[in-house]
Amino acid sequence: MSFKDNRFPVPVREDMTTALRKSWADIGRPGTWWTGPERVAIADLARAERIQRKEPPWNRDRGEPGTPLSEKAIEAARKIGADPTHLDRDWAEATIAELGDAPYVELASVVVTTVAADAFCEAMGIEHETLPEPEVGEPTRERPDNMGDIGAWVPVQVIDWQRANVARALSLVPEGVRTFFRMVAAMYSGTASDFNEMVWDHRPMARPQVELLAARVSALNQCFY
Amino acid sequence: MLLRASSDAVGAEVDLSAAVEDAADGGVEDGAVLTAFAEAVVRATDEVDAARRRALETLGPVKFVEAAATIGIFNGLVRVADSTGIPSDAMMLERTADVRGELGFNRWTGAKSSGVAEAPA
Repeated sequence: MSFKDNRFPVPVREDMTTALRKSWADIGRPGTWWTGPERVAIADLARAERIQRKEPPWNRDRGEPGTPLSEKAIEAARKIGADPTHLDRDWAEATIAELGDAPYVELASVVVTTVAADAFCEAMGIEHETLPEPEVGEPTRERPDNMGDIGAWVPVQVIDWQRANVARALSLVPEGVRTFFRMVAAMYSGTASDFNEMVWDHRPMARPQVELLAARVSALNQCFY
Repeated sequence: MLLRASSDAVGAEVDLSAAVEDAADGGVEDGAVLTAFAEAVVRATDEVDAARRRALETLGPVKFVEAAATIGIFNGLVRVADSTGIPSDAMMLERTADVRGELGFNRWTGAKSSGVAEAPA
């Protein structure tokens, strides 16, 4: 089992550890477009690059990737993991042209899940969780219907959408949405109705405290959204 | 910006420049401790142990976990937005129009995705 209770210096809510465990296990499972070993390799690349984030990209110790992933996939895992301020449309379009839009979105979903869990461990003062053992199996290669263009670099869900755009950014790969946003609900937003309330009683911290942290982390990453 | 909306909801006045300044409290309870904690984790500085200790002592264990969780998950959320080029929500753009330029947000790469980019500084 990952994220065991006795690893934490102070108790962590059960719903949070449950979400972390489920999403961590998901990384090792066959996805929609990538196999389990490929997904774990993506997570490993993103982690290794992000650990060296204080160094400029050209100065990082990378060694041999030791993975069958394509050069473009390796580059994407590293760049999204460690250098989010350097992502732009031209780069994304070139990457998507080679990987495909849905495989790109799934790759991003694996990276963001890994980064969020790793950053949580760093904040808690514990070692990063060991990456999951990859499971055997083939990707499902199922592409959802009702995807469209809202100006993002990838198609997203366009039918009956009432929530924040970021919540549909990964919707081209519904399994990726489930994996990452399970953690979002447990670690930040709660339910959709909780999120819409400006005064929170479902979290021990007051919402302005939570949003100050959110704003500062976003600004440190120069995230406009 | 949900920081302002959530502060307005409890009748508090927030200083939004805390989003872009180091160790600023923004008028939020324990704000300077929270922002210093976030900065140390995101930047992976040598201050991270001290910042974490200060956060734990100030906030207590329950709120400390919430702070760590927020820092963790937003490191993921910013990458969701910036790896997909998802445009900002119209209502958010409207509500932040007065502060985005002042705080420098419009010069960030991701501003292009929402059609409001200024030339980089």
